[in-house]
Amino acid sequence: MRRQRHIQLLFLLPAVAWVLCFTLFPLIYSVRLSFYDARVGEPERFVGLANYATFFQDRRAWESLAITLVFVACGVTVQLVLGMALALLFNRSLPFRGVLRTLLTAPLFATPIAVGILFRTIFLAEGGLINGLLGLKVPWLSHPTLALVSVMLVDVWQWTPFCFLIFLAALQGIPEDYYEAARLETKSGWVLFRAITLPILKPTVVLVLLLRLTEAVKVLDIPYTLTGGGPHTATQVLSLYSYFVGLKDSNFGYASSISVIMLLLVTAMILVLFKRMRQVYQ
Amino acid sequence: MMRHRSRHFSKAFFAALAFAVVGVVFLPFYWAISLSLREKSEVFTVKGLGVPFVQYKPTLRHWTQELGTVEMQQALGNSLGIAAATAAVAVALGAPAAYAVARFKFRRPSNEDITLWFLSQRVLPPVATVAPLFLLIHWLGLLDTRTGLVLLNVTFNLPLVVVILRQAFLDLPVELEEAAMVDGAGHGTIFLRICLPLAAPGLAAAVLIVIAFTWNEFLFGLMIGSLHATVIPAHIAGTGSTRGPDFGFLAVRSLIAITPPVVLALLAQRYIVRGLTFGAVKG
Repeated sequence: MRRQRHIQLLFLLPAVAWVLCFTLFPLIYSVRLSFYDARVGEPERFVGLANYATFFQDRRAWESLAITLVFVACGVTVQLVLGMALALLFNRSLPFRGVLRTLLTAPLFATPIAVGILFRTIFLAEGGLINGLLGLKVPWLSHPTLALVSVMLVDVWQWTPFCFLIFLAALQGIPEDYYEAARLETKSGWVLFRAITLPILKPTVVLVLLLRLTEAVKVLDIPYTLTGGGPHTATQVLSLYSYFVGLKDSNFGYASSISVIMLLLVTAMILVLFKRMRQVYQ
Repeated sequence: MMRHRSRHFSKAFFAALAFAVVGVVFLPFYWAISLSLREKSEVFTVKGLGVPFVQYKPTLRHWTQELGTVEMQQALGNSLGIAAATAAVAVALGAPAAYAVARFKFRRPSNEDITLWFLSQRVLPPVATVAPLFLLIHWLGLLDTRTGLVLLNVTFNLPLVVVILRQAFLDLPVELEEAAMVDGAGHGTIFLRICLPLAAPGLAAAVLIVIAFTWNEFLFGLMIGSLHATVIPAHIAGTGSTRGPDFGFLAVRSLIAITPPVVLALLAQRYIVRGLTFGAVKG
């Protein structure tokens, strides 16, 4: 019996050890570094909470945080609503439904860095696809607000299929007879959706929302190549700011404190996600 | 009669809408292809959709030039090799662990806690760990090596493999294993001979998803690789600043990066939902 137990642990241990090695160390090191003044080529100096104090006084940091929150809130909302609309559309009987559904998943795995580069040519004010097709001269990437909208649109293009796929799977799990009785009462599709579909889908919506939130907060690749954080700092999300501070200015101490704050932010979301996932896993 | 006709109409309307949506979603891919086939002078002169053969004579010049560079060939080889090696190592380590949380009973920490701990590694923002991991790879003497990048990519993808495969093992009927146990087979034999082959679809999904994620990974590719271990995303990220507004090249480079993972996504689409929801939704 003891031997059995050891064999069972042996299944688990290599993976646990590997992940521990490469994640526990960085985490501890990041936290430690956030209390130091650490720059390349200079001796480290313990500065206590100074880096955190800097953060709270750093206008650019607060701006980044605000930009991130706007990006996440608007982007994820649009993705959920659009994803639900598409799922309802594709839950009808359509010609070539299977093929169309498969094609819709294409953006999901498209390399984000390359997507950013590609959409640069799409948003181009002159000669770009959107303005060219619509006969407009909108300065998508050079206007601060529009640039953030552009980054959101690209994120919506890439991630709406994810929401769509999960909602569609959930919709297909609702038995048709739930609707039959209700149809005697009302013919309105909207009433049926509100009274039957939405309550049943609620756990799925919450799950998708949490998964998207935790993912969207980390966004880096798309703004990196689409706007580079610009114009000026209009699309400089927190990841990008941390990257610039740490790797461009080589101010590792301050960058680490931004990372730690980001970790706390994400952890708050993760804890809610975990409550949900624990129910799923049990 | 009226009702019949309006039903017909609404059916046609929704079908058209569905096709339109797919068309819009595919427009960026089409646009990239169209741009990549134009001469430099035609990038701005061709208007609207830019239909090849109709609006301009397509050329493969950008493609042959770009694919002909040593840097691109090296990056392609590196990306492919690193993705394959990462998938192999992540599955080799992750499958037994997934089997353990699916089938064995752990008390402290409980099976759910172990699974959630793996999941938590996947949700953390990579930019938060970039500096220390850079140092770690530096101390290991693995900067600018493919091994260094495989180590890191395995770390990010191993949790995903565990969570996907855990569900795959849970879906298998436990009776087969019990029968084998009665016949005196040990955990190792049961895992290798019975469960792993039966979980082949889940295994395939995990491999495809890990390959796609590793191929797409940018930040660490940029940090670790400089001369020898360059990968596609890091290689193309500098595009634009070095070459100026040369859109044919932009299009070719993004298509070279995008095509392999998109094809994988289409192949693996039955499993994507499960993979991306960490096994929570079957899809």
